[in-house]
Amino acid sequence: MRDPRRPDLDRYPELQRSWDRRQFVKSAAVGTALMALGGALVRLAGDDLSKQARAEKRPDGRPRLPPGQRMLEVLRPMGGEEGDGDPRSFKLRVHGAVKSPFEIDYAGLLQLPQVEKQADVHCVTGWSLVGGLWKGVQLATLAEKAGVKAEARYVIFEAAHGYTANAPIAEATADTAMVTYRLNGKPLALQHGAPVRGLVPDLYFWKSAKWLTGIRFVKVDEPGYWEVRGYNNHADPWQEQRYA
Amino acid sequence: MPELAEPAVAQAPSTPPARDPGLARTIKKRWRLWLRTLHRDIGYLAVGFTVLYALSGIAMNHIDDWDPNFVAGETTRKITPIPATMSDADAARQIAEAAGVTGKLDDVFRAGDEVRLSYAGGAKVTAIGDTVTIQHRRDRVFFRVADWLHATRGKQAWKYIADAYAVLLLYLAISGVFMIKGRLGLRWRGATLIAIGLAGPLGYIVLSGGPGAQATERVAARPGEVDPPKPRADGITPLPPDDDAAKRP
Repeated sequence: MRDPRRPDLDRYPELQRSWDRRQFVKSAAVGTALMALGGALVRLAGDDLSKQARAEKRPDGRPRLPPGQRMLEVLRPMGGEEGDGDPRSFKLRVHGAVKSPFEIDYAGLLQLPQVEKQADVHCVTGWSLVGGLWKGVQLATLAEKAGVKAEARYVIFEAAHGYTANAPIAEATADTAMVTYRLNGKPLALQHGAPVRGLVPDLYFWKSAKWLTGIRFVKVDEPGYWEVRGYNNHADPWQEQRYA
Repeated sequence: MPELAEPAVAQAPSTPPARDPGLARTIKKRWRLWLRTLHRDIGYLAVGFTVLYALSGIAMNHIDDWDPNFVAGETTRKITPIPATMSDADAARQIAEAAGVTGKLDDVFRAGDEVRLSYAGGAKVTAIGDTVTIQHRRDRVFFRVADWLHATRGKQAWKYIADAYAVLLLYLAISGVFMIKGRLGLRWRGATLIAIGLAGPLGYIVLSGGPGAQATERVAARPGEVDPPKPRADGITPLPPDDDAAKRP
């Protein structure tokens, strides 16, 4: 039986083209909606980890998973202009408002007091990785070694190709903040900032600069690469400070 | 006083000569045709750019779901720990055997408890204690270069080429509005679809609160955290002393 909504195309063949187009637009719309629904279902179905992390509390009383975040099980590579990743050529310059600026190579970094701490990281794009075991040297250790002056209030992470990220000194020298070279017992992969990246877990993850080349202590804040491109200067995940 | 003689030549009329009515009529009649012709040709020019930007845009838009640039892999194996006294050559041989990696060894680097091997082709093998980690990756076909072009950071001439493409896209969008007249154009169908198209971004901005929106789920300040100082009535915000960095907002 003929669909009553369908025009009699045998009788009116000039309607064929517009009917075909209408069918195409309808099919495309239905297909797109189904794909979007499928994607949403897949994401929702596999999100028990997020629910669990949302229910947990940190020692400071805040929820373990900040608002607007979902859990991932592995670190995602988020792009950026890579450094060479070679530990042999790695040098970290600690300078700025310090009494004794210095430069240290990879072997030297591994000889400084090491820490291994569990820390959660939160990407501004909405994913979080919780419970990662990060190994490295605390920024507080580097600050102490360089003799940071009292006037220093911010830390600028300097990285390959001129990338920078800024953080208040209190957060950058917190207990879990470090320059890190190992995650869960494995060396960082190149796409994750090898050989050494910054780690400031209580701020959105772009502050944890990959392919680190320097730590600079400054008196006056200097918004970094993303901060001058519309992203929040402070970047507290629990306040959802994503954008400026 | 003699009267002035009549000028030999009549004064030119004060109004400019009327334009050729044929030209105005031609422009009026044919501007849509020219618009369409340009739209068609610029559309052809834009095909390559549009495919490149659209596919790489989708790829990078979902960067938190997949790596749009590389196919990367990481595996681990167990190994008898490498003693610090073992030579580089012996350590490399032992690690390569445990890792099952063959190929031209480019470099052996040791620091602390790590022994790192770099292979031609990019594979990295690192022994730490009793674990060997093998990391490798390769470029994704098309997306690696498309993503590189899309993200204009650090590129010189391409920035201007991309600007030119954006201008062409603007022409395509704006000329498309005026290409067809009547009910299929701005009088009905065109206007309706333009409104639907604008409703997408506008609706999202309104519903999400826009970039300045604060989190709906407010979280209590950390214990011991002080509220940031508020501006006084005279507009001055008192700040903590310079040496009190921890309390500075």
